[in-house]
Amino acid sequence: MTSRRSMFLFTLPALIVLGLFFVYPILLTFQMSFTSFAGVGEAEPVGLKNYDRIVSRSRYLNALWITAKFTIVVVVLQTIAGLCFAALLHRLPAVRNFARAALFTPAMMSFVVVGYVWQFIYSPFSGGLNALLRGAGLDWLARGWLGDPDTALYAIAIAHIWMFTGYTTAIFLAGYANIPSDVDEAGRLDGASSWQRFRYLEIPLLAPSFTINIMLSTIGTLKTFELPFIMTRGGPDGATRTLSLEIIEQLFGRYKFGFASALSIVMLVIVIMVAVFQNWYLRRREDI
Amino acid sequence: MRGFKLRMVLLNALVLVLVAAMLMPLLYMITMSFRTATEIAQAPLGVPERFAWENYLRAFGGMNYVRAVLNSVFITISVTGLTALLGSMAAFPLARNTSRLARIFVLLVALGLATPNFVTITPIYVIFRDLGLLDTYLGIILAFSALNLPLAVFFYVGFIGAIPQDLVDAAKLDNCSDWQVFWYVIRPLLVPATATLSLFVMLMVWNDFTYPLLLLTDKDKFTVTISVYRFVGNTNIQPDMLFPAAVLGSLPLLVLFVIFQRRIVAGVTAGAVK
Repeated sequence: MTSRRSMFLFTLPALIVLGLFFVYPILLTFQMSFTSFAGVGEAEPVGLKNYDRIVSRSRYLNALWITAKFTIVVVVLQTIAGLCFAALLHRLPAVRNFARAALFTPAMMSFVVVGYVWQFIYSPFSGGLNALLRGAGLDWLARGWLGDPDTALYAIAIAHIWMFTGYTTAIFLAGYANIPSDVDEAGRLDGASSWQRFRYLEIPLLAPSFTINIMLSTIGTLKTFELPFIMTRGGPDGATRTLSLEIIEQLFGRYKFGFASALSIVMLVIVIMVAVFQNWYLRRREDI
Repeated sequence: MRGFKLRMVLLNALVLVLVAAMLMPLLYMITMSFRTATEIAQAPLGVPERFAWENYLRAFGGMNYVRAVLNSVFITISVTGLTALLGSMAAFPLARNTSRLARIFVLLVALGLATPNFVTITPIYVIFRDLGLLDTYLGIILAFSALNLPLAVFFYVGFIGAIPQDLVDAAKLDNCSDWQVFWYVIRPLLVPATATLSLFVMLMVWNDFTYPLLLLTDKDKFTVTISVYRFVGNTNIQPDMLFPAAVLGSLPLLVLFVIFQRRIVAGVTAGAVK
């Protein structure tokens, strides 16, 4: 590295773009979160009022709880589904490549398309799911899946899981490819059944893939916005109003820029805390 | 051995059934896109009585499809190119520099990886409004690039760190400037890394909804996702508009995926694992 100056010039363009449109906005969000800024005019400083509002109103605590519920359901089910598919496909080389690509296909679509298609699948009268249930004689199960506060969030979670299970599967399969074949061979020679090999050899050896999958899907779902925005707009009765949906609503529905900023900071703190904790916990698990 | 064989056949069949079940929503989307609203209301799961091409004609025109695809292509390619160039440039000195400043920069970048765009969206909207960048290609390209730059820098730091220092030293002995070292020695070695990164960035930018929703209001600049959203609307959704728009909206990437599926799956997986 000859001259420090020329080295600095290399980082300068990235620094400018990151500084102007990434670091500065974060600082500005932080600053705005202590004001009642409404998009135009002067920003009145209000101290901690915005944060106080978040923790004292059930509406916002509810949004946090809904976000947490959604994240847990998606991360757990998607990881299990991906692991099952990967474990099966690992044992079935004949269909592996085809199945991996087929399962991955929904991840190539946008949230908007997936949201609309599933919204119609769930619709009460002409939707595919209810038609299927009625056809199978399960009329009593048919309902407006997105109109019922008890099912709406889970219905959206299913659409999300459907979209990304192939992604999770592909990452687990990459993990399987890294398991030395003699480990599997040794298990076989010792007479371990397929299930025993899965439980006692593969699952521990797949620890790095668990880390990646769980962290990726957690960060992705904590900020989930598009699917509930398209499918329910946060309804019915706020049952699917996630934190990010609340931010956009405060911002562009009510022009409460200051309050929306406080919500964004809460989200940032949560995402970083969860990411750091998961990283620490899951990596420690890898070493065992 | 015969029992084993039979079990394998059954397992293969089971997986194929499961995969087929996972593909049902896609099949549903395509089937429904050729049916009229009346047909769907009368028989929600039927097959098209005839191909209702008029659905597609209406969606194609209503979405301003060609224009939307061109906008998405232009924005996606610009963001991908800018992110790869600025990211690799910044990573070049950072990869080997062990000064505290460099390490702080890399740490900040790593934190940036986890930062949701909702944290920056409010001020970006305000800044863009004040700078006149709302509703411009330049604005949305810069916003997307800033969002993806942390990933790019982080990604390239790892790759450049793995390039032997001897190569750089040899070029220096031949009197190459830093820029020449970067452009003629480092950059060609980064092509595979750039391909993987670009896949990631392209997918993210092409399918993103939030930024174009908030930063673009001019119909002529709509990306594919926004034109699907605006065409279908959010009240009184009509299936004969929804499904053809959904098919058209996902068609470009699905076609690419069918052609390059092996490389795309491998690339996206490798990118995530790195």
